[in-house]
Amino acid sequence: MSTFSSLGTALSALYAQQHGMDLTGQNVANANTDGYSRQRVRLEAMGGVAGPQIFTRSMQPGAGVKVVDFQRIRDAFLEQRALTEQSSTTALQAGQTALSRIELSFSEPGPNGLQSQLSEFWGSWDDLANRPGDVGARSQVVERAQTLVQGFNRAAGDLVSLRNSLTDQLRSRVDEINAQAGRIAELNNSIQSSVQAGLSPNELLDQRDQLINQLSNLVGISTRDGAAGTVDVFVGGSALVRGPNTETLGVTTDAQGNATVMWNRLGVRADLAGGGEAGGLQNAINTTIPTYQSRLDALANQLRDAVNTQHQAGDDLVAGQPTDPFFTGSGAAGLAVNPTIVADPNRVAAAAAGAGALDSANALAMAGLGDGVGSPDAVYRALISDLGADAQRVNRQADIQSQIASQVDAARKAQSSVNLDEEMTNMIAYQHAYDAAAKFMTAVDQTLDTLIHMGVVGR
Amino acid sequence: MPPFRVTQSTISANVLAGLQTNLERMQGIQNRLSSGKQLNRPSDSPSGVLDAMGYRANLRRLDQYTRNADDGLGWLGTADQSLTSSLDLVRRARDLMVGAGNAGLSQESRDAMASELDSIRASLLSVANTRYGDRPIFAGTSAVTDAYTAAGAYQGDAGAVERSVGQGARVTVNLTGPEVFGPAAGGGPSIFDVLATAATDLRSGNPVQLANVTSADLSALDGWRTRIQDQLSVVGARYNRIETMRTRADDSTSTISQRLSDVEDVDLPKAVTELQMQQVAYQAALAASARVVQPSLVDFLR
Repeated sequence: MSTFSSLGTALSALYAQQHGMDLTGQNVANANTDGYSRQRVRLEAMGGVAGPQIFTRSMQPGAGVKVVDFQRIRDAFLEQRALTEQSSTTALQAGQTALSRIELSFSEPGPNGLQSQLSEFWGSWDDLANRPGDVGARSQVVERAQTLVQGFNRAAGDLVSLRNSLTDQLRSRVDEINAQAGRIAELNNSIQSSVQAGLSPNELLDQRDQLINQLSNLVGISTRDGAAGTVDVFVGGSALVRGPNTETLGVTTDAQGNATVMWNRLGVRADLAGGGEAGGLQNAINTTIPTYQSRLDALANQLRDAVNTQHQAGDDLVAGQPTDPFFTGSGAAGLAVNPTIVADPNRVAAAAAGAGALDSANALAMAGLGDGVGSPDAVYRALISDLGADAQRVNRQADIQSQIASQVDAARKAQSSVNLDEEMTNMIAYQHAYDAAAKFMTAVDQTLDTLIHMGVVGR
Repeated sequence: MPPFRVTQSTISANVLAGLQTNLERMQGIQNRLSSGKQLNRPSDSPSGVLDAMGYRANLRRLDQYTRNADDGLGWLGTADQSLTSSLDLVRRARDLMVGAGNAGLSQESRDAMASELDSIRASLLSVANTRYGDRPIFAGTSAVTDAYTAAGAYQGDAGAVERSVGQGARVTVNLTGPEVFGPAAGGGPSIFDVLATAATDLRSGNPVQLANVTSADLSALDGWRTRIQDQLSVVGARYNRIETMRTRADDSTSTISQRLSDVEDVDLPKAVTELQMQQVAYQAALAASARVVQPSLVDFLR
């Protein structure tokens, strides 16, 4: 044991406590920084002799303290869990938005929905039945039919444009995913270099974690630690980011309007089962909206067939020609009132076949088509009720899921965020330790002083 | 649940989330109050919306039934008037014919009676051509201008004019000419023929024909009179039926409006109470948050 080794011990203590105080300062400074993980200085007592040997035994305390590293405190499992929950939340929210816009395009319940237009259409046949000879009543039937047809066309058009706008949104989200993946890869690169240079990359790690966190809002991902501090990011089991390299995603659309997210290089479908906004959007575009589109189309065709059958069973006021079909076209977007009838309201068939010109049995039968089980009205109401139930279910799921996500987020934050009381306590501890180390140094100094001036004794 | 570390940022995040939830609830109640509707979109209550749409469709249908019934009542009312005045005319004709049996009458008086019978026949013809709106009510479903020609020939058809006055309830609101005035489907003279024959018989001066006026002609006229009376009661019965259906439609309208309002409209006292409770909760949350941002250890260090 050398005379001055105690000074070394005191110095190491001063350094260590100084680091502790610095880190406390860093933590306090970042108490409100998003994505910052609190850090701890990891201290280790320095031993005396490296290894016990037979002839170099000496009674020696350790040689002070050393700073091992700065440790980021966070729970890796909670981080993973937070990614999953966030992806599910944003997927549900995307579905929720889509359904609520479908609801808007039907504008039910209210005076402008298809239900009231259907009612008015059937009502106009009743009015025609009351005044079968009146051109006004005939024109009204045609007018109401045109309003109804426009209602169908508009609803169908709304659904198509909703689908297109969601597809645009999906494209821009996929672009964001690619950009985000690029930044993560760059950070991987920087982290790798600083780890290899023996530097502490904690702040870079925080930045990267935050990017990954944001990425999980866009698409369902999982992560795995790679070599030298890097992290690999996977979408549905395929690597989006691997070390400093990335793959890119793209969106392809087909003739039916379906949109698919693909791996650009491999040319295969990306598995978006993990959710994220992209997953939610893809599901809305390919499943939710087409369901309602096809139900609306089926309803339009049912209405067309029912009305045409009844119409052609009757007689119009124009002699010597078979009764025309009332509606033409197919599907909600294609439905139209027969132009021949629009041009000549006398071609509206109010009378039963073979009856007098002012008979209105056919109009009465037509007016009754809106009643009863299986009528177009009932089918439409079932459609709206199912839409409501769907939207309600997704709303509830999204509520529950966002609560789960915020709980997991809170748990995650509880691990990694800065508690000022704790930092203050640490600061006091470091401060006192620093004081004590300084005191120790003074004591050693005085001891040495005593030793150095010992020679004058007896002179 | 394992005890979490509590830090300043988790506290503020929780406080914010709590206040947000409170405000959202308040916004929901205020939306309902300001729109007056508790159903604004299908997802608010799928079954409620289903009911509301059904009720709305029902209300329109009932409104239509009421309009149809009003129109039907118009038809039947007109028919009732026509039949009543026909009966008056027939009664006058009958009085004349009964009087014609008096042996002391001169041929001139008989001729005058015959002229009166002719004018009664003309009036009866114009009654038979009565219109409702622009349609002769006794012409069935044909598009002719008059039900009978001046010669008394029926030009209409046997079609029924129906009005739908309730779910599956159709009421015939017309009587065809032959049902009231003849000629009957199987042939035979119409009431106009009977009157014309009587007038001819009166003018003939032939005792055999004169005798017919008070026997054969009179009994034929009585036959038609009974017929018109019968039809009058048919009209009355149909009128009553439509009126009943109309009243029922009115009753249903108010019941269904009430139900629609129950489903769709905001229960005001309940919503206001909820709003007040929510306000109290929000204020409590605000007060709590003010205390949550508490002093930390920093305040106690020198």
